[in-house]
Amino acid sequence: MIDCLTRQPAAAAARNARHAGVLALVLCLLLLTGCATTPRLADSTEQALPRQLLLEEVPFHAQRDYQCGPASLAMVLNDAGVDVEVDTLIPQVFLPGREGSVQPEMLATVRRHGQIPFVIEGHLDALLLELAAGHPVVVMQNLALPAWPMWHYAVAIGFDLERNELILHSGEEPRRIESFRRFDATWARSDRWAFVALPPGELPAGVRPHRAMEAISAFEGVQGAETALPAWEALAERFADSGLVHFGLGNARHTTGDASGAIDAFAQAVAAEPGLAVAWLNLGLARRGQGDAAGAREALEQAAALPGHWQPHAREALASLEER
Amino acid sequence: MMKKICRYLSPLLITALLLGSLPVAAAPAPAGSDLITTQAALNAEHGQADRERIHEILARDDVRDQLVAQGVDLAEVEARVAALSDAEAAQMAEQLEQLPAGASVVGALFAVFVILLVTDILGLTNVFPFTR
Repeated sequence: MIDCLTRQPAAAAARNARHAGVLALVLCLLLLTGCATTPRLADSTEQALPRQLLLEEVPFHAQRDYQCGPASLAMVLNDAGVDVEVDTLIPQVFLPGREGSVQPEMLATVRRHGQIPFVIEGHLDALLLELAAGHPVVVMQNLALPAWPMWHYAVAIGFDLERNELILHSGEEPRRIESFRRFDATWARSDRWAFVALPPGELPAGVRPHRAMEAISAFEGVQGAETALPAWEALAERFADSGLVHFGLGNARHTTGDASGAIDAFAQAVAAEPGLAVAWLNLGLARRGQGDAAGAREALEQAAALPGHWQPHAREALASLEER
Repeated sequence: MMKKICRYLSPLLITALLLGSLPVAAAPAPAGSDLITTQAALNAEHGQADRERIHEILARDDVRDQLVAQGVDLAEVEARVAALSDAEAAQMAEQLEQLPAGASVVGALFAVFVILLVTDILGLTNVFPFTR
């Protein structure tokens, strides 16, 4: 009797819990299926893309153990013409304590091998446009669910728009075919993180000037201005109306000792964006370095007249010029 | 004997020390080297405070320690830290434990596999190759 009394509520609770659990699971799955639909491409993207594409020349390296990071890096680096083996990359990017590789170090390792990593926009259109431009794309996926993640790097190398399928070198499987729907569901769990690794002078098909500047500037910090210069030149050509881009080019030229080239670029920067105080400031400082006092004063006066972060610096430079 | 060695060694040591300190004193600052760097301009564009910048620069020491703790080969640690941008170094220092590490393994129990099998069949996940 006592047994029953004590057992019954427990059994009822267990039954309730089981029902609640099943209900929760069904709800979760319904919610997830609701979210995961085949992603639609913009009309302009559809028109710009070929119906099918496969970057056949991208080599495949099968991953061993947990090393999809180094394997993916080897594939894109080899494709970019860098002769490096997976075994060389493992100690450079793999974290033994985490049994995996983290995103910042994936990008950093690309830099070490003389290529510029550009993180691309997080949507399928951007990814496919990169492939169409001939750039294999490293993607990060969570192949499982957010609660029990299975993080994975793979290299997208092609697609088939008729069948809505993406082709990837992934894990131990070359040219694995994944439907856009399944791929996008797993990719979305990494906030659609993806990057291309390009030699200096080549730019992603779609990139915002600011993001590209960050990428090139970080590369310059590791490999030096001389190596980064072609990237700045290419960026200034692509975004001729961005003052800040010409400013970056001017700095790279200045660091490599090309003083007159630097002055040209700073002048272009202020022509494109007359309100860019920092470009006026560097134009003035560069002219001063070349002994052009009148030109320096003219530029520094412009910089000192513009309110903002650089105004005190510009006033100081102007004052020191007057003292001479 | 000792005296003799000293007589030759001392002037040598003095010259060596002097020569060693010379380049620092004699190296002229290159003309116009005080230009605003691109990174500084980008940081200012983002409205990043100087305090944050200092934080990012100090972060590299943290990352160095963390990489060693994670079992990275000592010979590689310096080069790995050097290849990070300031922002990446700060991100590593603050949240290395939370950053997803691409490894393609599930660290979960058997019960979870049943759920993942269902989601695989629904096309939401991609854990088991045979469901495709």
